Amino acid sequence: MTAFLQATLYGLLQGGLLGLIAVGFSLVWGVMNIVNLAHGSFVILGAYIGWQVNSWLGLDPFVGMFVAAALLFALGYVLQRWLINLVVNGPIFITLLLTFGLDLLIVQGMNIAFSADYRSIQTSYGDNSLALGGVRLPLGRLLAFLVAIAVTIALVAVVNRTRTGMSIMATGMDRGAARLMGIRARHVYALTFGIAAALAGMAGTMIGMVGTFNPPAAGGYTLLSFVIAVLGGLGNMYGALIGGLVIGLVEAWGGQYLSGTWVNALAFLVLVIVLMIRPSGLVGRAYYAARVEV
Amino acid sequence: MRLKKVVATASVVACALALAACGAKGEAPGGNSGESGKLTIGASLSLTGKLAREGQLTQEGYQLCQDKVNAQGGVPVGGKKLKLDIQYQDDTSKPDTAAQLVDQFNDKGVKLILSSYGSANTEAQAAVIERNGQVMVDSAGADNKIFSKGYKRTFAVLSPATEYASSIVKAIAELAQPKPKTVVFLSADDGFSKTVTEGGMKTAQQLGFTVLDPQYFTNGTSDVSSSLIKVKSQKPDVIIGSVHLVEGVAIVKQAKELGVTPLAFGETVAPPTPDFVKTLGAQAENVLGSSQWTDTTKGQDKYFGTAKQYAADIKAKFGHDPDYHDAEASAACLALALAVEKAGDTSPDKVRDALAGLDTTSFFGQIKFDSTGQNIYKPMSVIQVQNGNAVTVWPTDSAEAKLIWPGTKQ
Repeated sequence: MTAFLQATLYGLLQGGLLGLIAVGFSLVWGVMNIVNLAHGSFVILGAYIGWQVNSWLGLDPFVGMFVAAALLFALGYVLQRWLINLVVNGPIFITLLLTFGLDLLIVQGMNIAFSADYRSIQTSYGDNSLALGGVRLPLGRLLAFLVAIAVTIALVAVVNRTRTGMSIMATGMDRGAARLMGIRARHVYALTFGIAAALAGMAGTMIGMVGTFNPPAAGGYTLLSFVIAVLGGLGNMYGALIGGLVIGLVEAWGGQYLSGTWVNALAFLVLVIVLMIRPSGLVGRAYYAARVEV
Repeated sequence: MRLKKVVATASVVACALALAACGAKGEAPGGNSGESGKLTIGASLSLTGKLAREGQLTQEGYQLCQDKVNAQGGVPVGGKKLKLDIQYQDDTSKPDTAAQLVDQFNDKGVKLILSSYGSANTEAQAAVIERNGQVMVDSAGADNKIFSKGYKRTFAVLSPATEYASSIVKAIAELAQPKPKTVVFLSADDGFSKTVTEGGMKTAQQLGFTVLDPQYFTNGTSDVSSSLIKVKSQKPDVIIGSVHLVEGVAIVKQAKELGVTPLAFGETVAPPTPDFVKTLGAQAENVLGSSQWTDTTKGQDKYFGTAKQYAADIKAKFGHDPDYHDAEASAACLALALAVEKAGDTSPDKVRDALAGLDTTSFFGQIKFDSTGQNIYKPMSVIQVQNGNAVTVWPTDSAEAKLIWPGTKQ
């Protein structure tokens, strides 16, 4: 029973972090219909920024994540505004190809800049844990989890309550109508992509604190984001968080009762089952499928 | 007028390109032939992809070998000295690509090959080598499967996979006081790691340990919490990881998070690499690891000198302490160079025969291959991280320090 509780707790914490990794991916896909294959490389780039400011300035990762967020926001904004916008109206295959190319560039760039050595952001408290009866609550992961929840709630608030957020949603629903209302679609797209990259950067710094990373790990985070975004469903900012929590729990529980080798397959099995029952994802909204592209 | 000029320029460029292409194809790149004064060796390496780190270390080892051999004028072959010319190609950590690159080298007439990193890549390459009549010295493919297929043209300088965890078990059985009773293996699920685990479990049973059920997790994962939660209630005395660096780091980090406290951790592959200490800091203290090579290894050769000299050379050239991945790569290249010298010829058949009969000392220890192509003399060393450095604790005759036991604070 203790093992089950421990696995559940660990899975939940892990799931929150997975949600934070995927939330930007889901946002970009939902609003712009771009499957951003470079998302994982943003996550790793964020981890490197967090690591770098930690080793240069001794910044705690919970401060460093804001540096990572700021730099990645700028990178994301520039990439979307002056590069991806050029092909954003084209077929999804073109943006897929472009972001795939970006991914190769960024990953190889990091390989050259930082080498392929494994890194980790060390903190004095990251691996400590609180004992609750027989169950341990790892401190670093708990803090990362709280960040994930706070960021998701903040994102929802921004999208639902601010003018910028509403213009993002409006452009996502009907670009033509949004432009007729005076929304500058190019700028809004760039903002969206920037926000997504910033969130990926924050997630990356958190990953750097609780685990290890190197450039080739980027691909795995893109795939994970894809699964979580589809599972949670597009068009709902909580989708990624819920998708992440489900994957985290499924993997933790699966790990207790199945051989470890099966756990990866299990996540995809859950995805298939959810899609069979709810094709728009757990909390996704169907109208996104029928959106107007002008 | 202007148009004509453009057309003329364009046609010149086109011709030049065509010529270059022709030249590239028609040119015999010297292969292994001595005419050019060069000894061309092909090396497919995992320079990008998931094995990029180990691939880069392997390249360092090959590169240092080339520099050292060429500093002495090259490999003496039939009265002439041939400079080593190692041609690198990136196999992106994929076995299929590694095998294709060996084929491409063959098409270019390059018959002498140094292996890529890792068992999966090397295994794929070995089959192609055999078919093409090339010769390969294997620097980092340790899975016993490679040597059980009757191949005659692949020679490995390193110890086989079954020794990786076995050596840690043997060291603990010999040195740990009081002797621990229970051992559990946490293992990645790739072929190599599974072979390591099976070998280690067998040795542990023979030495009288109670061996708990092994726990497998996905190769390359940074989350091994499920396995740790499962073994926590069994309270094993020793946890041995058959892992690569990333899983090895995860075991130590997550064990702390989850309050799993055995008497000691032992891990293959991960602890001897400098990254292990860098990533884990103080938590790396006293973790045991097995290594293909340490700088206390006995023996010397004419290119690298002793193991200590080798370590200093790596540090001077690449700015980091040597990793055994560097050493095994250099040793493979050394074996190939010595075999060419012994054969007095660069033809693959003669080099193969010379490798089969090679018996030499080196900075890597004694090198001599059995009929399956494995290095029969090669022992593995067991290291322990002490004060941030990986020091040899076993075998006792080359030990630099005493085993600290128990390895974890209780």
